[in-house]
Amino acid sequence: MMRDNRLRRLPMSLSALVALALAVLPLPAFLQVLRPDFLVLVVFYWSIESPRAGGLTLAFFSGLALDVIQGVALGQHALALTLMSAWATNLRLRIRVFSILSQCLTIFALLTGYQFVLFWVDGATGNPVTTFARWLAPVIGALLWPVIVSLLGRLHER
Amino acid sequence: MVAFRSTDTSGRTTGLLLRCVLYCLLALVLIIVDKRYDHLGRIRRLLSVVAYPVQIAVASPFQGWDWFRESVTTRAALRADKAKLEAELRLAQFRLQRYEALEAESQRLRALRNSVAGVADRFLVGDIMDVDLDAFRERVLVDKGARDDVFVGQAVLDAGGVFGQVARVGQLTAEVILVSDAAHAIPVQVNRNGLRTIAVGTGDMRRLKLPYLSTSADVVVGDLLVTSGLGGGFPPGYPVGTVAEVKRDAAQSLADIDVKPAAALDRSRELMFVWLKPQAAAAGLSAAPAASSTAVKSMAVTNAAARAKTAPQVELTPRVVRARPVKPAAPLRPAAPLESATPGSEPETSAPPEKPAVNDE
Repeated sequence: MMRDNRLRRLPMSLSALVALALAVLPLPAFLQVLRPDFLVLVVFYWSIESPRAGGLTLAFFSGLALDVIQGVALGQHALALTLMSAWATNLRLRIRVFSILSQCLTIFALLTGYQFVLFWVDGATGNPVTTFARWLAPVIGALLWPVIVSLLGRLHER
Repeated sequence: MVAFRSTDTSGRTTGLLLRCVLYCLLALVLIIVDKRYDHLGRIRRLLSVVAYPVQIAVASPFQGWDWFRESVTTRAALRADKAKLEAELRLAQFRLQRYEALEAESQRLRALRNSVAGVADRFLVGDIMDVDLDAFRERVLVDKGARDDVFVGQAVLDAGGVFGQVARVGQLTAEVILVSDAAHAIPVQVNRNGLRTIAVGTGDMRRLKLPYLSTSADVVVGDLLVTSGLGGGFPPGYPVGTVAEVKRDAAQSLADIDVKPAAALDRSRELMFVWLKPQAAAAGLSAAPAASSTAVKSMAVTNAAARAKTAPQVELTPRVVRARPVKPAAPLRPAAPLESATPGSEPETSAPPEKPAVNDE
């Protein structure tokens, strides 16, 4: 088991790095608001798939990386991502046996929760972003979930 | 095939709750410390260096593509470009002839009024990196940082006019907040009649607003807005935008005025960081007649007056009168959008170093 977890760490951190790059990839302005939270989806995947390999640690440090790279309040994404990936870990046994539609709905709820924590911290630190567009990302993210699962599933099959 | 194949089927993960609480507490502490104190400035600067490889990795294919496109340009295209640039240069030089005379005259007049013009001292050109920051904030990442003496609150221009100001400085990169960011405000002046007000961003790159002018204010469509230099953050006289629309509702006391930014906020690739002359910042602050009337020839007293202006709550105690270099800092800037512009980071920003400028004017 221990060995298994250690083997997981490489694809985990690799996929997180790629997702981080996708999070800052330049896009045209109208696509920018539609950009799903790739890194969040990846972290959710690993929290559900193999929580013992350090899903929460991955969540915290991925969040921290997002904070640094996006230049928002330090700890904001870390908090949101830790909370939501803990929730995902808690739900993982159910999520694994869900049909793909139910999985997407659950992920949608998790992503919305994530955005809500961000929204709250934004407001609390005095930089509220009140545009409605920020609530679009969870929808896109949930729609993308099956793709993420099949891609990452293939990755750690090896 | 979409399914999980996890072999980890045990019902509980040991210590999940504990670790979750721990990490959340850590994150909360980080948020609070980052917000309330400036201790994290240095840590953040180091972290930004760690993030730099990712940003470079993302940006480099785009830069590579630009380079490729540039290197395969045809001779005809280059010739056409050259002809165009020469024409532009001729025009610019033509305008410059008059500008030099006007500049000298303006300096003389300002000297009569005993207020030194806020003069840009040196410039540094930086490139915008092909990296998207937060989608809901108008910010860009530029490849110049603390290493190049860039400081928080520094004015940033592009070829068209005022672009924004530095919001955060990393070791190698700096985050620039655009004039169009919803959290940004800049003191401006109508070029035609000297009417002063504040232009605030809207979150839309094509639009700024003048929310604090009454319906009777003398503003018409097409008016040029320039920086007033009040607040000391921006050098005075640089174009900010032109008035695009003026809506006067008789039922409202304030007019609804839209401004089209002068800088190409969505197209610029190269930005200019501006260092003001030390006393220029003071002149910007002491532009109010009260301060300049008390000014004596001695630089120390002028500086002290300017300092007293920046901190009106402080009485003119010996501590304040002591001659000190005036900080080109942000205390008077109307709606300071920069939480990070806290006193802790200012000593580094106060003295523009003597380093040779990359692009002297």
